[in-house]
Amino acid sequence: MEIFVLVKQVPDPEAMIKVKSDSELDIENRYFTNFFDEIAIEAAIRMKEKFGGKVTVLTVDNHRVDALRRGISMGADEAIQITDPLLEEANPFAISRAIASYLKDKPFDLILAGRQAMDDDAGIVGPAVAELLEIPHVNAIVSLEIDPQKKEALVRREVEEGKEIIACSLPALFTCQKGLCSPRIPQVLNVMKAMKAQIKKLDIKSLGLNPNEILGLKDIIKIKNYISPPKRPPVKMIKEDFPENVKILVKLLREEAKVI
Amino acid sequence: MENEIWVFAEEYDGKVRRVAFELLSASAKFSKKIGAKVSSILLGNKLSEAIKSLTPFSDKIYVLDDPILSPYTSEAFILNLSNLIKKHRPYLLLGGVSSTTKDLFPRLAMNLKTSYAPECTSVEISEDGELLVRRPIFGGKVFSELKFSEARPIMITIRNHTFSVDESLNKSAEIFSIEALKDSTISRKKVIGIEKVKGERVDISEAEIVVAAGRGIKGPENFKIIEELADVLNASVGTTRAVVDEGWRDQRDQIGKSGKNISAKLYMAFGISGAVHHTLGIGTCKTIVAVDIDPNALIFNYADYGIVGDLFKIVPALKDELRKVVSSG
Repeated sequence: MEIFVLVKQVPDPEAMIKVKSDSELDIENRYFTNFFDEIAIEAAIRMKEKFGGKVTVLTVDNHRVDALRRGISMGADEAIQITDPLLEEANPFAISRAIASYLKDKPFDLILAGRQAMDDDAGIVGPAVAELLEIPHVNAIVSLEIDPQKKEALVRREVEEGKEIIACSLPALFTCQKGLCSPRIPQVLNVMKAMKAQIKKLDIKSLGLNPNEILGLKDIIKIKNYISPPKRPPVKMIKEDFPENVKILVKLLREEAKVI
Repeated sequence: MENEIWVFAEEYDGKVRRVAFELLSASAKFSKKIGAKVSSILLGNKLSEAIKSLTPFSDKIYVLDDPILSPYTSEAFILNLSNLIKKHRPYLLLGGVSSTTKDLFPRLAMNLKTSYAPECTSVEISEDGELLVRRPIFGGKVFSELKFSEARPIMITIRNHTFSVDESLNKSAEIFSIEALKDSTISRKKVIGIEKVKGERVDISEAEIVVAAGRGIKGPENFKIIEELADVLNASVGTTRAVVDEGWRDQRDQIGKSGKNISAKLYMAFGISGAVHHTLGIGTCKTIVAVDIDPNALIFNYADYGIVGDLFKIVPALKDELRKVVSSG
């Protein structure tokens, strides 16, 4: 099986992030491999262990390749970095175009990605890449079985009413949700090996992409400015003794907040 | 002057999800400022009830009623929506945040080469007709205001309960029945079935009231008192990552960064310390109540009302107190 995994290094959820100016953020230098992408890497490695083949991790990032190294340390065979000044601050549509133009003539059976990246929380790249490659996709899967002979996958995806069971022809792209599998902790030896692993770099030109197409996609949607989140009013602590405090709470919810 | 505002009226089992009525109500206000018609876009099968419910809220309803459109698959929906959109090129296409729109909207936007802003918390049209859209990024630590190109439609999904339903609307929508298209892509995927969750509670992302407990509940069996409180309020039950990782509750109930964002009118957190991971998922709740034994728990920084105390005493007392109030109307 030929499997590609789309990965990204993102700020840790605990990292301090503040608005510096309208167009600039102050992001604490605490990054990790996107939580859902690690699940995707793990799922890919398990498929390789079961059916043989190759796992390639791929990122679009001008600054960080740690997610690729994480993938290699977990057992991926190859790593690709798409990097180009044109892709700086690109929206998910431009990024999807770059990824799809790399993948379009590759012989893949399966593409996996995280449900969403924990930076812009958009969840666009996975389904958008599938659209550009004209292959089916399923979002937020929590189970994955493959029948290589029939070239078919059986997946479950989380929906509001429960878990939907879907049979999907391959090649396909799936985005991975928590619950699909637990990512392994790589062995120290593999982490060291990954530090030295070769990363193949590609730019817009070597992908055969027209820069104007990327610029056009970048224009579709842009960030006008950043703003700080609205401040919540200070907490009202109810200091009366039990059970008086419970009575007061109910009164406040009814008469002040008017939510019950 | 813009032509039409479209609302993706997502249905399940023939019933339109509540968020569609919220979006139609907001669109009725937008339409006054820009002179656009408000249209419901309804795809599914056996839709007569759904059409009836949308009629007072819409100027037009575009209906595609066909067995291939139920249950949802991205293939059938994109084929049909893309075709319909290219014919009409509406100004906006609005949808709620759901498993369907998360699967459908990004792919549809790429197909149409148009913009898509997911999970927005604020959408407004200014007096001079400018569209103002805001969405949280980095889990809500920062918000971004967006700028769109001339590409149409501008696609936006909006969190549940961002707008309220205007029950006073009494439009009488014109109905356009459209025959569903089919092609070979539809056979790539087959929905075999659904493993339904037990119980009657709505998903935490849709619920108006969510009550949740964290590790302070001490064990899965103790969720019984939270469930009983939820029964009184007709609420859904949420929890934290720590509890899910312990295997005490199903992951579908997890609030927070690796779980779900909730935007309830009322959120009550019991025995939840308030790790960033959790609080990032509750930022858009209207009223937050926190009860924890530790006076220094971080959750109090995010709450509107706080009680320092033992949840095992407070939850049952709160249930009894609420029962009096709720039953007395």
